[in-house]
Amino acid sequence: MTNDRATTPEDLDQHIDIAVLHVDTRFAFRERLRKDPLFLIGCIIVALSLFLAAFGPWIAPYDATAATPEISEPPPPLGDWPRLLLGTIRGTNETPPHWLGTDASGLDVFSRLIVAPRTDITIALVGALLSLALGTLVGLVTGFYRNWATEIVMRVSDVLQAFPVFITAMLLVTLSGRSAGNIVLALALVYTPIFVRLTRAEVMSQSARGYVEAARAAGNRPFMIALKHILPNSMVPALVQTSVTIGFAIILTAGLSFVGAGVRPPTPEWGLMISNGASQLILGEWWTSVFPGVAMTITVFGYAAIARAFEEWFR
Amino acid sequence: MIGRFVLKRLAIAFLQLVGVALVVFFLIRMLPADPVARLVGLNASTEAYEQSAHALGVDQPLWQQFLNFLGLFSNSGQPGLLQGNLGVSWVTNTPVLTEIRGVLPVTLEIVTYSLLLAFLVALPLGLASARKPGGIADRITLIWGMFAGAQPDYWWGLLFVFVFYFLLNVAPPPMGRIDPLLTEPHMITGFMTIDTLLQGRFDAFVSAVHHLMLPVLTLVYVVSGAIVKMVRTNTLRALQSDYILYARASGLPEAQVARYALRAALTPAITLIGIFYSVLLSAAVTIEVVFTMGGIGQYAVRSILAFDYPAIQGVVLVVAFVSLMIYLLLDIVHAYLDPRIRY
Repeated sequence: MTNDRATTPEDLDQHIDIAVLHVDTRFAFRERLRKDPLFLIGCIIVALSLFLAAFGPWIAPYDATAATPEISEPPPPLGDWPRLLLGTIRGTNETPPHWLGTDASGLDVFSRLIVAPRTDITIALVGALLSLALGTLVGLVTGFYRNWATEIVMRVSDVLQAFPVFITAMLLVTLSGRSAGNIVLALALVYTPIFVRLTRAEVMSQSARGYVEAARAAGNRPFMIALKHILPNSMVPALVQTSVTIGFAIILTAGLSFVGAGVRPPTPEWGLMISNGASQLILGEWWTSVFPGVAMTITVFGYAAIARAFEEWFR
Repeated sequence: MIGRFVLKRLAIAFLQLVGVALVVFFLIRMLPADPVARLVGLNASTEAYEQSAHALGVDQPLWQQFLNFLGLFSNSGQPGLLQGNLGVSWVTNTPVLTEIRGVLPVTLEIVTYSLLLAFLVALPLGLASARKPGGIADRITLIWGMFAGAQPDYWWGLLFVFVFYFLLNVAPPPMGRIDPLLTEPHMITGFMTIDTLLQGRFDAFVSAVHHLMLPVLTLVYVVSGAIVKMVRTNTLRALQSDYILYARASGLPEAQVARYALRAALTPAITLIGIFYSVLLSAAVTIEVVFTMGGIGQYAVRSILAFDYPAIQGVVLVVAFVSLMIYLLLDIVHAYLDPRIRY
């Protein structure tokens, strides 16, 4: 059955198309990495964030949730870093250094910083991808079939969009229990309307194109046309938006913990770290809050850089 | 023509608000939270629990609770939404509307000043970067614009506190809207800066501005990136249009050409102000927590963490109402400025 299919001329054509497209995108990717330093930086940052999300706990020199006796210790002066680094490589340090100091409960800031992506990046990534999937599906259906039922869906989406994002996310998470899973669901819900809107607009403009008419004339079923022809051509705005949304979602996840409505302490999480250090900050103990914010800003920048490159690439 | 458009938009906004009221009411009751246990504590006896549940009216069937919320066939003896009442806070026992009337102006004051200042900063920068693509201004705005709307605002707020209060000591400590040793002015508009001036309280005015400095700085910094990006894109598009080419070909001075381009670039951008406003409104929640400003954002945080349902409903409805009204207003201004729009 499967072998029969590949022998029709149309299918052969399609295979060739796919092969050409594949070579093309790979070439463009390398070209872009070489020519666009921002894209390169973005890729490095994103790769690092994913790497830390996967392996952070194994690299961290200290247990990210176990207190050490050194409380509120500032980071070692920069002059000591070469000696400490050398000591780490040779294994001659008595205890691993607290590279970024310790917080008021004696937790190692550096360890928490690199374990945190496991919470922040995972939540943001899954939340954004869920809203992409949900939003694209709803956008495709409502853009392709335009009748009273999809009109109702759009009005509901309008209503959801009138909700203040941060307050709504906070409400959902607090009332359904402050767990990572609930944060993911809340993110998916508040970000879905954007994807619905983007995909729907694109589907509507694509539906008017000639190739859709041709597919229809060839006798394809409408749903298959939507799925196989219109959808792949309507994904670009939503894909660009996904990368942006991951950045938003990181900020939001950390923001929820910052106001006390996110994951529970002592989970290593950037927003919790910032809020833990906030009260010491005005007393001059800056390192607990400053470093997680820097990490977060860099990460968001990475995802934004990729979004920007995608945008130009596909245009 | 425009009257009909306004009416139509008002009707849509009203329906959306009804939708928001419906969704928020049922959403918070669908979630697995027990507000009564939260209020009476986990060690409370069953009698105390039931008494409290009865007092709050949550022991009644859901549809009756909803009717009470609306103020339609109510059996609670309290006016509801239809009578312009948002209920009584479960925590403070004060009408929610009274509380919101006190906290909303705080947020609006911060957000309004931030938006105005952000435009003052972002307009010249966006124009400069559009005039010379690839120049220094363009590179700065490119990087800055990439953070558009995705800055950890609360972190920047803390950082500014550290630098300007702890290190440089030019800002007040991040507590409140005014020096605690000064008596607060009577509330007239709710804008501290305006109220103090209306009552001739110069010392309080200076203190209010002083306390607004850092929150506004933070929000301006956070939102300008998005505005710069928008101004740049729109101006670039306008500069490439035919009538600018024509203006140049006619030998008009460059400054005049730039003015034309600016006008063309900003008219479609007016509707975008609404988006910036919502970005700021969202950011204000955490910023108010950082600076203890006591605005509607901080009120929202407090109400949600306390499971104070009437207050939560009130906050969501009022914030949605404010955003919808701003969008409506901007659409009207846009329609007025751009004669091509016919509704």
